[in-house]
Amino acid sequence: MTTLHVFQWLDTTLIGNTIRDSTYIFPVVEVFHLFGLTLLLGTLTITDLRMLGVGMRRQSIAEVASQLAPWTIWGAVVTIVSGILLFLSEAMKCYANAAFPWKMWMLLAGVLLYLCVQLPITRAKSRTNPALLKAVALLSLVFWYGVAVAGRAIAFV
Amino acid sequence: MSLQSICQAISDSSIGTQLRESTYLWPAVEATHVLSLALSVGTIVLVDLRLIGATMRNESVTDVIEQTQPYTIAGFTLAFISGFILFWSEAGRLYPSYSFRFKLVFIALLGINALVFHSTIYISVDKWNKWAITPPRARFAGWFGLIFWMLVIFLGRWTAYNLK
Repeated sequence: MTTLHVFQWLDTTLIGNTIRDSTYIFPVVEVFHLFGLTLLLGTLTITDLRMLGVGMRRQSIAEVASQLAPWTIWGAVVTIVSGILLFLSEAMKCYANAAFPWKMWMLLAGVLLYLCVQLPITRAKSRTNPALLKAVALLSLVFWYGVAVAGRAIAFV
Repeated sequence: MSLQSICQAISDSSIGTQLRESTYLWPAVEATHVLSLALSVGTIVLVDLRLIGATMRNESVTDVIEQTQPYTIAGFTLAFISGFILFWSEAGRLYPSYSFRFKLVFIALLGINALVFHSTIYISVDKWNKWAITPPRARFAGWFGLIFWMLVIFLGRWTAYNLK
């Protein structure tokens, strides 16, 4: 079974067909994709800027990161779930799309960086090396804004 | 000369036409619009959530507002400029769209909401700065912002699909 077969199969699901055949479901799901994205990018940007020492400096990194994490995570959940629905309705379009793999790889990188590095180091009791914090924050901004740019590019390339 | 014909003339202008037909510029402006929207509305939502007592309850209200404001303003400025350019390229199609008209009205209402908040209840912020749940009028401003910004995003997408 090749990647092509997987995408062809994903393109034929009942959910995907229902969304594709409706005038309104796709835009409505897309609206939720944007709600989630707004919450995700907004809260993550503030967290990253705090780690860079640029924004929210009156609060500690741990205060900012721990209080915003639930909003970032729920924003990501809404974005990803709605994203899967959008994908199912146009899986073959995505298969042939040059921007789609970029978006997926950057998304994977962003999620892994967030869960495996960013969350643990912002919650660590001991002081984390500021250079590491800055590097992680920069990477996070590049990955997540990269996901957004590549996502928009899907519609145009 | 009707507003419709003025808007048509704007999008029919050489700048409007070149924008609309460009391979890279229009998508780039559109991407800027979405990303700057995420930054401005994302940080506004953070302030609104603080006002309704949903997040950052241990931080003072002024800390949240003052420290997010530069990013909100930067994001909004970018979203406004990119939105203006997008309008220029499609003014003739956008003018008759109800979703687009309501979007503009709602953005204006959000501006008034912010203005009223800052010129009334926020003046006495020192009294309730540390409260986990802010006074009713501040909470109202928070809920108003949350609901109407969501509506603006909804209407923006609706406009893109020309769904009236």
